[in-house]
Amino acid sequence: MIELDTRAWLPREGLDRLIALLREDGRKVVGPTVRDAAIVYDEIGSSADLPTGVTDEQAPGRYRIHKGGNGNGSAGRSFDFASSPTSWKSYTYPASVPLARARRDGDEVEYSAIGHDAPRLAYLGVRACDIAALAIHDDVLTGGPYIDEDYADRRGKAFIVAVECAVPSGTCFCASMGTGPEVSNGFDIALTELDEGYVVKTGSEAGQQLVERLELEAPSSLQMHAAAGVGVEARAMMSEQLGVTTEGLKDRLVAQLEAKGWDEIAERCLACTNCTMACPTCFCTDVRQTSDLLATETVSERQWASCFTLDFARVAHGNFRPRVKDRYRQWLTHKFSTWVDQFGTSGCVGCGRCITWCPVGIDVRESLLQVAPLRPPMEQTQQPVPVSANPGRYSIGTIAEIWAETQNVYTLKMKDLPESVCAGLPGQFLMLDLPGFSAVPISISRYREDEIFLTIRTEGASTRAITSLRPGSQIGLRGPVGRGWPMEEAFGRDVIIVAGGIGLPPLRPLIDNILARRGHFGRVKLFYGARAPKDLVFTEELKAWAERDDIGIGVTVDRAKVGTWSGAVGVVTHLFDREPIDGSHTTAYICGPEKMMSAASNSLAGRGILPEHIYLSMERHMECGIGLCGHCQMGKYFVCKDGPVFSRRELGVSLDMEGL
Amino acid sequence: MAVSVGTKPVRVGVVKLASCDGCQLGFLDLGPALLDIGVKFQIVEFGEASSNRSPDGPFDILFVEGSISTDEQLRHIRHLRDRAAVLVTIGACATSGGIQALRAWAGNDGGIAGFVDAVYATPEYVDTLAKATPVADHVQVDAELRGCPIDTGQLVELLTATAVGRRPQLPSEAVCVQCKRAGKVCVMVSRGEPCLGPIISTGCDALCPGMARGCYGCFGPRESANGDSLASWFSESLGLPDERVAAKFAGFTAWAPELREVIEARGGPPGMRVGGGPGPETQAEPAAVSSEPEGGAA
Repeated sequence: MIELDTRAWLPREGLDRLIALLREDGRKVVGPTVRDAAIVYDEIGSSADLPTGVTDEQAPGRYRIHKGGNGNGSAGRSFDFASSPTSWKSYTYPASVPLARARRDGDEVEYSAIGHDAPRLAYLGVRACDIAALAIHDDVLTGGPYIDEDYADRRGKAFIVAVECAVPSGTCFCASMGTGPEVSNGFDIALTELDEGYVVKTGSEAGQQLVERLELEAPSSLQMHAAAGVGVEARAMMSEQLGVTTEGLKDRLVAQLEAKGWDEIAERCLACTNCTMACPTCFCTDVRQTSDLLATETVSERQWASCFTLDFARVAHGNFRPRVKDRYRQWLTHKFSTWVDQFGTSGCVGCGRCITWCPVGIDVRESLLQVAPLRPPMEQTQQPVPVSANPGRYSIGTIAEIWAETQNVYTLKMKDLPESVCAGLPGQFLMLDLPGFSAVPISISRYREDEIFLTIRTEGASTRAITSLRPGSQIGLRGPVGRGWPMEEAFGRDVIIVAGGIGLPPLRPLIDNILARRGHFGRVKLFYGARAPKDLVFTEELKAWAERDDIGIGVTVDRAKVGTWSGAVGVVTHLFDREPIDGSHTTAYICGPEKMMSAASNSLAGRGILPEHIYLSMERHMECGIGLCGHCQMGKYFVCKDGPVFSRRELGVSLDMEGL
Repeated sequence: MAVSVGTKPVRVGVVKLASCDGCQLGFLDLGPALLDIGVKFQIVEFGEASSNRSPDGPFDILFVEGSISTDEQLRHIRHLRDRAAVLVTIGACATSGGIQALRAWAGNDGGIAGFVDAVYATPEYVDTLAKATPVADHVQVDAELRGCPIDTGQLVELLTATAVGRRPQLPSEAVCVQCKRAGKVCVMVSRGEPCLGPIISTGCDALCPGMARGCYGCFGPRESANGDSLASWFSESLGLPDERVAAKFAGFTAWAPELREVIEARGGPPGMRVGGGPGPETQAEPAAVSSEPEGGAA
């Protein structure tokens, strides 16, 4: 007697014996077969109907099958493919099921239920993701208090022959959803395919009895070892592609019901229903009635419905989800969030069908990133420990080039730097130390792979000395230190950047990073003001940005001599007074004189941007740069360590209070 | 629709304008249901089927096939509208202008007069409007049955709903719904075949995708039809040049606004590309043909 969960060896030619036994038991065997340029599930008579030597290739909106080789370099296998176009729900929960007949004769009505007498089916080739989907349907449709009788009938009669997944496709993400690729339960027998046959595992009493009738040998240790490697390899393949970060997803997603990302996805979404129809867990249905012309006899049938159709949320007086955006949001939030509230599991098993079969390739994995990215805790990403930060421990950099931006602003291109300096973050600063002069905090105005730019206004002895240096001169430096601009916070949102005078250099790495990852942000606008045209820095770069269509630029000066300036005149806040701003979807970054930052942040707050979405970079006297010297204290913060970037909410009253 | 169904049979008319008569055959294709029609409905005008005619009605329900293609048809439909309690347009011609609506893109190449000269041996006998337009552009329409031709199932549903006095259940969802319910493999995803199915209304049982072809759009755009997104996918992912994208959209319901916008954004249908000249909206009417009817498609 074979024990439950024991292993046996089924030689390749033995698969037909397995199929024959299932058929002898009065079951139709449904398994993978090639039809219509795809590997679909259909009734099969023998292993000759299987897609032996055929594999699939899947990407968003794209599916192709190929003959010949596969991921394992073998052409003789029968199950070397990933998800099918439609799931097993075609059999467990068919697209259309008759429910009842009704007759209406004068004043009398009469109903007769149509009985459920589903065929006994064996499902051959069920993957881990689809087993998880069946478990979800079991919960949803038979978890009570009411059950779907037709489903219960079909499910009760099903015999499940699982097959371990060997070659996941480009749209698979079961590993990240925790449903696969390894089959662990929910099957009668499970097969792991090797070149010469299958390692068989039993998972139920019925499966055990069937395997006994096959009279199989035990697998060799070599075969056991090879079988164990199949899942490991499949997992490794999937780990190289995009998955879903499930951590906190349920809450992250419902916290983003107003996110801009929904609108952007809706611009592409066709609301065609393919995702929901292909999904193995989507269970929504209509009850459709059809009558003869005289309406004496009416037949009602249950048929697959979709939350993407207009009629789905229609009531007599209107529609609850008229916009495509409403419907996409309903679907995605149900799958990944409210499903958990209702049924205790995610509604997604990571089979990837909604991605492959979306006619325009919308990828749920990307949608989730777009509307509800997992933001790493700020401290972790914002404060890497530099090689030398403490006063007394210096790195040394060499000036590669130096040039004037304005009469009194110079940019130093620094080279020969330690890696940690170039790995700093936008908004962080360095303490520059030229022997003999007191150290000064200077923001990094551009990061290159092995260079940084420092843009410095000559104001005191130290900055005058540093900006007088020639290329080749060395400077001592500590850092980068401080908390920079939080960038992930603006993913999926519009961005407004406001700079005043010498406030633009600390913002430039932020702009560089935003442009490098432009797809993560909504509209991006930079508003830059200076006292006079001659005080504008980075003028060539401003022109170059102005020519791009992915960033808007507004420049103004407080005053200009007649005939010398053709741009806007006035304070920088005037630039965005007339700007359409969607406050609830905008993050603002501001750097400049404190009075200007105060005015700009108040103005933006007045346009509906919450104070936690407005960031400012503060300036204070700094000696150490690491929160030990006490100079830069501002209320409860040390600007060097806790800042220099703060949200407007963090600053509270201390921003506008004189003498604090 | 408000048709009172009492003991008196409902007076039904079936008429045609510029069309091929194929949708009228939908009535004759009803089979046994045709016999049931006689119980509740009295067909008083149906030139295709009976010589016993009352062309001026009055009608409780009037089914209109065909587009408005001539000045005479324009006068005729206004007259018929006054004689019908409920007017239902049937088929792609009546509901969107039909295949003949493509002539709106006649462009600068002699315009519609050039077309008439090229096609007819004695063009002086041809009196035509520059555009073939849907009935709803000219008179109020109470219900539409889409398709080229219409689906008899939808026709029965409309008649049944009318007889019972309820709202007909006519689908507004994509062809994809029928493909998926029937287990048909998506031809665009699996073969790269451009398909209008995602933006077109169901009704055809997904006939063409079942034959490994993309949908031609016979039933016209469904609600929320996102032609832009689909056309971008044709260009960017399937690699179709603009001309072929426009050709795909320029079928039986090309003049429906959601498809028309895509066609015009890509320079018009192939063979009728206007080459930078004024588009159909601003095109001057050649003197040889009748002027555009007021309230015409715009």
